[in-house]
Amino acid sequence: MADGLTPLVALLWLLNVLTDSGGQLAFKAAAALPGDAAGLDRWRAMARRPWLWIGIACYGAEFLLWLAFLSLVPLSTGVLLGSINIVAIMVAGRLLFNEQLTPLRVLGILLVSAGVAVVGLQP
Amino acid sequence: MNRSSARRFYLVGFAVLMAFDTLAQLSFKMAGTQALPLSLSLQWLQRVFSQPWIYGALVGYAGAFFTWMHLLRRAPIGPAFAASHLEIVSVMLVSHWLFGEAIGLAQVAGAGLIVAGIVCLALSEPEAPTEAQPA
Repeated sequence: MADGLTPLVALLWLLNVLTDSGGQLAFKAAAALPGDAAGLDRWRAMARRPWLWIGIACYGAEFLLWLAFLSLVPLSTGVLLGSINIVAIMVAGRLLFNEQLTPLRVLGILLVSAGVAVVGLQP
Repeated sequence: MNRSSARRFYLVGFAVLMAFDTLAQLSFKMAGTQALPLSLSLQWLQRVFSQPWIYGALVGYAGAFFTWMHLLRRAPIGPAFAASHLEIVSVMLVSHWLFGEAIGLAQVAGAGLIVAGIVCLALSEPEAPTEAQPA
């Protein structure tokens, strides 16, 4: 992707990672509702707080950013570079929700990151 | 659910999930290409939503979402998480076949590393009950 990795492509990729992680974390925050409301009441309670809407806005933005990104890079390269979202979510979950980073998870994160780097840095 | 019908449930389920994911990514690429040149403008958005491929992306996303939710009623989250990302491989094959994209050594090595990493992440998930309560 010698002619593909322009600053614009890099920016779109970065914004996609941010909106994907932001959206998933917002949905997680929305789902972690205090109280034990169920069914429709639960949805009403979630809709009154900002998290659900922040998540939906992030996903809307991500949809367009991903479309723009893929229009500029080969599809096979694009989906591989998009795999970094898996790592971003895992790290964000550790930072914000105190999820455990076991040795196997760290190895997984390193392998995925290495794979993305190999694809992204190819001449 | 006996063992062979469980196997069929997973095989069919993950094949359908992969098909929807692949359809979504192919549609994104087609829609993006048809809407070129890229610009931060209303004209670009109009080009995006005025051709059929964008709806292929929406159908693919929606189909993948419901298939995933259905699978998660029975499949343990760890292996399911791994299998749900294997579409990177099918998309690579399909983009070579349909768009003639060159799949070089870097792509193959990168995909191998990513898949190995996903398998590690999947194995690190705590074992979920194999027979979840019906929703």
